[in-house]
Amino acid sequence: MTDHNRPSGDDQDTTHFGFTTVKTNEKEKLVRGVFDSVADRYDLMNDLMSAGIHRLWKRFTIELSAVRPGQTVLDIAGGTGDLSARFSKLVGAEGKVILADINASMLQVGRDKLLDAGAFGNLHMVQCDAQYLPFPDNSVDCITIAFGLRNVTDKALALRSMERILKPGGRLLILEFSKPTSPLLEKIYDTYSFRILPMMGRLVANDEESYRYLAESIRKHPDQETLMAMMEDAGFVDCQYHNMTGGIVAVHRGIKA
Amino acid sequence: MQREHDPAVITAVTAALEASVNRALTLAPAASRELAEMADTVLAIECTAPVITVYITITPMGTLQVSSYSEAKSSTRVRGAFDDFLTLATADDPAATLINSDLEIVGNTAPLLALQQIVTHMDLDWEAPLVDVLGDVAGHQLAQLLRGTFSWGKDAGKSLRRQLSEFILEEGRLSPPAAELDAFYDDVQNLALRVDRLQSRLKRFAQKVAAR
Repeated sequence: MTDHNRPSGDDQDTTHFGFTTVKTNEKEKLVRGVFDSVADRYDLMNDLMSAGIHRLWKRFTIELSAVRPGQTVLDIAGGTGDLSARFSKLVGAEGKVILADINASMLQVGRDKLLDAGAFGNLHMVQCDAQYLPFPDNSVDCITIAFGLRNVTDKALALRSMERILKPGGRLLILEFSKPTSPLLEKIYDTYSFRILPMMGRLVANDEESYRYLAESIRKHPDQETLMAMMEDAGFVDCQYHNMTGGIVAVHRGIKA
Repeated sequence: MQREHDPAVITAVTAALEASVNRALTLAPAASRELAEMADTVLAIECTAPVITVYITITPMGTLQVSSYSEAKSSTRVRGAFDDFLTLATADDPAATLINSDLEIVGNTAPLLALQQIVTHMDLDWEAPLVDVLGDVAGHQLAQLLRGTFSWGKDAGKSLRRQLSEFILEEGRLSPPAAELDAFYDDVQNLALRVDRLQSRLKRFAQKVAAR
């Protein structure tokens, strides 16, 4: 058991699903249920929940990737394809972008959106589990996972899987909700997450529970330093992170040695 | 970790800047073509107050990519305070402004000056988007009106600057003309040289007196 998110105790076959303790093998199904439920209105909700700032977080992540034409990029938990669309332009016709997600509903929404935006040719879609990435060793230049790692059952296993398929010198970028750096901001953020967010979920997506899970899963996710230590444990070097919007979100970067 | 500005804030600025310049470039195809010839040039603008570094990359499509992070090699790196950059951006003679300002330049200055010239002299075609929205007749009429207004505004601005300069120099005598200032500086420099020479003579004379 290497997942830092897992509850301590005698029962080693359990993990967190938000604030609820569930059997490890059930989490995947429960997370899938959440994303099946929100897939159709995922982009709209992202814009509403973050007041559009998620676009800036993603843009900065893409800048940090320093992706060049001809490279291969894997966008794990790529959902509706925000990052993939941009990477598709950056890598050009000689490059390759793989949009991967464990959830078929999200992948389908992403595929439709990307096709509508005219992004195709160098874009491939794969439904897969981040813990067991179905790609050869040392085959990818850059991996991004934006707002996806906290939903993975065994994060350490997923990080090792990412490290395996990255080329030496390749980089991993993890964009994820994190811990606010100011106690005042943390209080405001808590009120927003547990009171306003589920209400917005109910009004816009008619799904209060899924958005309550999103808020809870953010609190159970490792903080900045813990996640950086996990990346180092998985074999990444030169690890660093940048806090954004007061630490509500952080982007971690690690290089495969 | 080193204290830094929130990347989301800087990204908002760079994204807004990129969107507005590229939007303008879509209306100025000639400028876009000129930029495309400078494709893959990276300019690093390092502002010391406030501390922000912005990278401007010219794409093969003739657009600009503005970012707060880049690992590409910069052809030109300019360092200075925000005010100096603002003066350079709005200068009629950027080359002279660049030389006389406190901006520190590393690398080749030519791409920076070329970019400044292209962006400031962009000839925006207002007619195309207006015709798309309003149709041929109304779009053309409005574009003519806008052209006239901008042209009048530009001329009026130039005329106002000239008149203001004349008032400050001639009527108000609030500041001496540039030629008068240059002559004064030359006089000061000549005087300094003559004082130096006199000082050397006196020193030599004192040595001779001491030797006797």
